[in-house]
Amino acid sequence: MSEALALEADFRVSVGARSSPFEVTAKLSLDRGVLAVFGPSGSGKSLTLQVIAGLLRPQSGRIRVGGEPLSDSEAKLQVPPHRRRVGYVPQHHALFPFCSVWRNVAFGLPRGERRPDHPVVAGLLHELGLEHLTHAMPERLSGGERQRVALARALAVRPRLLLLDEPFNSIDLAGRRELWGVLRATLARHQTPAVFVTHDPLEAAALAERVVLFERGRSTRSGGPELLEPALELVRGPPQSSGIDTHGS
Amino acid sequence: MNDPVLFPIGLSLQVATLALAAVVVPGVALAWLQARRRYPGWSLVEGLILLPMVLPPSVIGYFLVVGLGRNGALGRLLEDTLGLRLIFTPAAAVLASCVVALPMLVKTLQPALAQVPRELEAAGRTLGLGPLALFFRVTLPVAWRGLVAALVLAFARALGEFGATLMFAGNIPGRTNTMPLEIFSAYQAGDDGRALLYVVTLTVASLAVALLASVLSGYRERR
Repeated sequence: MSEALALEADFRVSVGARSSPFEVTAKLSLDRGVLAVFGPSGSGKSLTLQVIAGLLRPQSGRIRVGGEPLSDSEAKLQVPPHRRRVGYVPQHHALFPFCSVWRNVAFGLPRGERRPDHPVVAGLLHELGLEHLTHAMPERLSGGERQRVALARALAVRPRLLLLDEPFNSIDLAGRRELWGVLRATLARHQTPAVFVTHDPLEAAALAERVVLFERGRSTRSGGPELLEPALELVRGPPQSSGIDTHGS
Repeated sequence: MNDPVLFPIGLSLQVATLALAAVVVPGVALAWLQARRRYPGWSLVEGLILLPMVLPPSVIGYFLVVGLGRNGALGRLLEDTLGLRLIFTPAAAVLASCVVALPMLVKTLQPALAQVPRELEAAGRTLGLGPLALFFRVTLPVAWRGLVAALVLAFARALGEFGATLMFAGNIPGRTNTMPLEIFSAYQAGDDGRALLYVVTLTVASLAVALLASVLSGYRERR
């Protein structure tokens, strides 16, 4: 197998005041499918995604997506985010408030393709069950609907890799389970590898084939979903418990 | 527009419009730079932008005369190379208005740009938007109320320029006598009726601008 990995990243990034910087050291890789970046809040997961998206410049290290180097401190290479073809769904979805649903979905397309009936736009709206909301404004959408629009918008530009930051944070548990299925099916259909950040072991277990654990600004271990077992046991401990227990840990 | 009563109104509108047109691009760029970037010397630039708002207008006028007058270094250069003499021309009135309109524009727009959520811009960038497209398709559509408020306030400030204009452009009837200057002249000549005409015109215009700006900034806060 000489096929390029969907993602190889190994870097160090430091943010905040020079006197008390927050440092993140991350090493992660994904051949295909879905990788969960799992760990408590404040362990550097979101910063890691921002570095991969190109929104933050790492102090040192390298990032390759689909075999193509996007960042390499030694070669002084830093491809800007708009040339990376790496999709990014920020934590609160960040829908453009001045754009209707279809305009949000079509936002990244070339001017001529920004039409509600363009096959890419119409296809994604259909696939994600958003057709009836084509002309709705984001402020009128529910959390789950916003999530779907954000997903459709990111996929419309055919990214080589999709990054999702706590994608289900603002969604209630029932809606969350439904959206897990939607996300899995959509990523599989588009054959888009994805990295998503979560602090919920149930969510990580439900979605990911690969897991990387984060703790205090470091990626500590990576492997299969079995890495989630200790965290899952904690959650399952008392019967009927659910993933929301870990919220804000 | 040769009517001596109407001339100052027309001249003032032209001067303020040209001043606004001249400062809009550098002003928006400067507001964006100050709102979005931190660099060595940021505070110095911030102070320099504010300077014309705190300096007495006569001091601004003095600097303009000294720098761009017939004996000023820049003024002489312009005259020698381009045959251009600014002092005591309508162009000088435009320049004086620019100096006071620019800080008004920058200082009104800057907080509006700073309030644009970073997440929206991050989303735009990862969707393939370069810096310019990002500004026009994401930043401005979010901050447009701030931009309109900044433009009308800068226009009003340009319209009302008096001190620096008086020193740099003079008060030449039929040439550089803008409304604020004409109010002064008419009042000194005891022609209260003529002064009142311009006073009312400027008051109405300024009131409209102030109302529009406050309505726009109120919107921004409520959202």
